[in-house]
Amino acid sequence: MMGWRLQRLPSAKPRLAFLARAVSVILALLVAGLVTAAAGFHPFDLGAEVVSSSFGSRFGIEDLGLLLTPLIYTGLAVAVGLRIGAWNIGAEGQFNIGAFCAAGVALFVPGPVWMVLPLMVFGGALGGAAWILVPTLARAYADVSELITTLLLNFVALLLVYYVATGPWLDPSGHALATTARLPVAIPEFWGIVHWGFPVAVAMAMALAILFALTRWGYEIRISGSNPGAARYAGIPVRRHLITVMLMSGAIAGLGGVMEVAGTVGRLQGGISNNYGYLGIMVAVLARAAPLGVLASALLMAVILNGGIILQTQGLTTNTVLAVTGLILLFSAIGDELAHYRVIRTTAQRA
Amino acid sequence: MDGGGAMLDEVDVRHRLGLDPGTPPLVALRGVGKVFPGVIANADVHLEVFPGEIHALLGENGAGKSTLMNVLTGIYQPDSGEIVVAGYPRTFSSPQDAIRAGIGMVHQHFKLVQAFTVAENVHLGWDRTPARVGAAMLEARTAELAARLNLAVRPEATVADLSTGEQQRVEILRVLSRDAKVLILDEPTAVLTPGEAQDLFAALRAFVAQGNAVIFISHKLDEVLEIAHRVTVLRAGRNVATRWASDCTERSLAQMMVGREIVLTDMRTRAPGIAGPGAPVLRLEAVALKGVLQDISLEVRAGEVLGVAGVAGNGQRELCQIMTGLAAPTSGRVLLDGADISRAGPGAVATMGVGHIPEDRLASGVAAGLSITENAVLREYRDRPVSRGPWYSPRAALDLARRIAGAAEVVVPDFAMPVRNLSGGNQQRLVARREMRIARRAIVAAYPSRGLDVGAINMMMRYLTELRDQGVAVVLVSEELEELLNLSDRIAVMFHGRIMGIVPAAAADLDDIGLMMGGQRRDRAA
Ligand SMILES: Nc1ncnc2c1ncn2[C@@H]1O[C@H](COP(=O)(O)OP(=O)(O)OP(=O)(O)O)[C@@H](O)[C@H]1O
Ligand SMILES: [Mg+2]
Repeated sequence: MMGWRLQRLPSAKPRLAFLARAVSVILALLVAGLVTAAAGFHPFDLGAEVVSSSFGSRFGIEDLGLLLTPLIYTGLAVAVGLRIGAWNIGAEGQFNIGAFCAAGVALFVPGPVWMVLPLMVFGGALGGAAWILVPTLARAYADVSELITTLLLNFVALLLVYYVATGPWLDPSGHALATTARLPVAIPEFWGIVHWGFPVAVAMAMALAILFALTRWGYEIRISGSNPGAARYAGIPVRRHLITVMLMSGAIAGLGGVMEVAGTVGRLQGGISNNYGYLGIMVAVLARAAPLGVLASALLMAVILNGGIILQTQGLTTNTVLAVTGLILLFSAIGDELAHYRVIRTTAQRA
Repeated sequence: MDGGGAMLDEVDVRHRLGLDPGTPPLVALRGVGKVFPGVIANADVHLEVFPGEIHALLGENGAGKSTLMNVLTGIYQPDSGEIVVAGYPRTFSSPQDAIRAGIGMVHQHFKLVQAFTVAENVHLGWDRTPARVGAAMLEARTAELAARLNLAVRPEATVADLSTGEQQRVEILRVLSRDAKVLILDEPTAVLTPGEAQDLFAALRAFVAQGNAVIFISHKLDEVLEIAHRVTVLRAGRNVATRWASDCTERSLAQMMVGREIVLTDMRTRAPGIAGPGAPVLRLEAVALKGVLQDISLEVRAGEVLGVAGVAGNGQRELCQIMTGLAAPTSGRVLLDGADISRAGPGAVATMGVGHIPEDRLASGVAAGLSITENAVLREYRDRPVSRGPWYSPRAALDLARRIAGAAEVVVPDFAMPVRNLSGGNQQRLVARREMRIARRAIVAAYPSRGLDVGAINMMMRYLTELRDQGVAVVLVSEELEELLNLSDRIAVMFHGRIMGIVPAAAADLDDIGLMMGGQRRDRAA
């Protein structure tokens, strides 16, 4: 007698896992389409609208590039942490602090651009790293879970930016209500309105991919992330690596903030992080913490976000976008589990 | 392979077990096959287990024992053949399915949630756990179950704080509380002290006396002969034979498993031309570790095997950690070739030529989720050719992993698969080979034969003597006195973190060692 059976393997095949990712994205879009259709919209028209306004014109693509850039930074920040088993939920806060530091330097440090710009970049990265310092040390020395500590600091950072942007650093010209003055120094443009933050992000993803896969340090990080006990046994300085990697994660998120404030927005304002830090978690998870995967999943996320902005003009609320991203995460989790299975043909003999 | 001829006559089996002629087996496997990419783990396996029976499953490392039981409990689906429970063919799509049909398993590596209490672990994922329930009630229910099943556990204790033996009782309680009729134990005694093993056996005998059955996987042949009614032997995934334990000897079992006779030689005597122990290599001077080790002084010489005897948990783990740089003594010194390594750290000590086969392989010897390649190069990734400057070469790593697996005689279909997919014994062989490569001065081997089959144990012991003959100082920690006597030049006996005495193995008296293991100090130290 022939039959078909499902078999669960203890580890998923990478190719299958990737396929499951792709299918889950399609499924999520499909469900979203069905729901919008049920609500009386025309999902195909909406989809066509999103695609054509995102990719149909140079302006659309440039907009997409601006949305994509911060997502790559925060996605990489979270992915880097995951490499050693640390969940950086605080990319949102580090992003805000990065923007805060860069704006501070730009507004209050006089000097030529060639001096101020590197200082902003450096200051923002340093600020991001500093923002994750306490959670890092707490995890490294007292084994306090970084999940909560990084999350809590997000609110502090958010409020700090709100405070300075509406208070002490408020635009003295009186034109703007809740932002600083326009920063005198900006990240130079790279292609249209897309600034150099974008190519730097892509280069960074590639560099990180090489760093993790092809260096001795990357190997040590893999071992430390997978089994700290085995790493210690092999003489790998687990704690030092954990600290380095987490600070790196914070610095990358901070850098994202620098690029956003000095490249895209031009002023420091409350809510400049725009949930990019939280979306970065999703980007990293979708990419299975692979730096090059982050490029792809950040692009997907950017298209969805951009779609949301376009859909708003069509009468849908922004919650649609949240729902779609949530669906993608849900289906990916299911897909991940299913990727462990294999369909096999059985030849069971009846006695 | 000729399986049919060796099968026992079913009528006779029921008769000898005191069952009615028509009694169906509690479970039967008929022609079960299971293939993994590149490996045939099981092929055409037949197995019948009757009420009241303790049935031992034997076989070399990688013979397919764990896989067969994973098939029986629904973790894997068989590629061919069928599972018959109490007369009806069944398929299980998960372990929960299997336990509902009365078949439960305690795995080689425990699957408890470390941060939960005993009571929470027992009730986890159980459909009879009430939906709303407080800790006190869970604990009361657990205590009641434990009393009924005669297993001593502390319901309120956190699992992470329990000894291995206690954790195992929790696992067993988990299975039995779900009304299992067939209890499968995968190498249950590998991690138990002899006393704990005896307690376990008593519980198993009581369990089968109520018409239940136990399937018992072990590499310890003496224990198998002591506890099992019948024995089924697998070789390369196939049935070799099913026999009454009373008709077997350790020797005949070993021969069935390996397919050839295993000659146990006296390994202490050196071949002509091999020098005896030379200059001291590893020296401990009045070493203490807060709360665990006290006043330990010993030395191991080049080309010498120092055995460390004692009931597990008397400080052996910490002693190994101190000798390999994983822990720093709170007082005293550790010297390697005269240099103080007390605070050198594990990386430096390994670089100086000290290998370490750790006692808990999964916790510290390997990163189970990473590939076989990544695990194989754990000791040499810093050196050429795996690393060149800051660069890591995956290709060179694969080359090295191939060589280590080849020397360890482990067949690996795919070096990129996680090391946890290897059978328990094969993981151990790989770790041992990896460590031997770096052991230029000394090797600390903690329970190196744990989980190995008889043939592999013999091989492991031969490896250790080879190292010894090359002038490496060997520290062998073991609970098996026979193994220690067979290999060691001197034996140190540990009790409560102290060394009760060090005796030359040639003149060792078993009773004497036994007394020291129980805490009596020897008057005359050697
Ligand atoms: N998930 C898996 N993927 C690939 N191969 C596997 C998997 N599980 C087991 N194997 C292979 O199947 C064979 C049988 O393994 P199994 O664990 O059943 O051996 P075993 O008899 O329990 O050995 P041991 O005494 O060493 O525990 C081995 O070659 C092992 O590498
Ligand atoms: Mg096994």
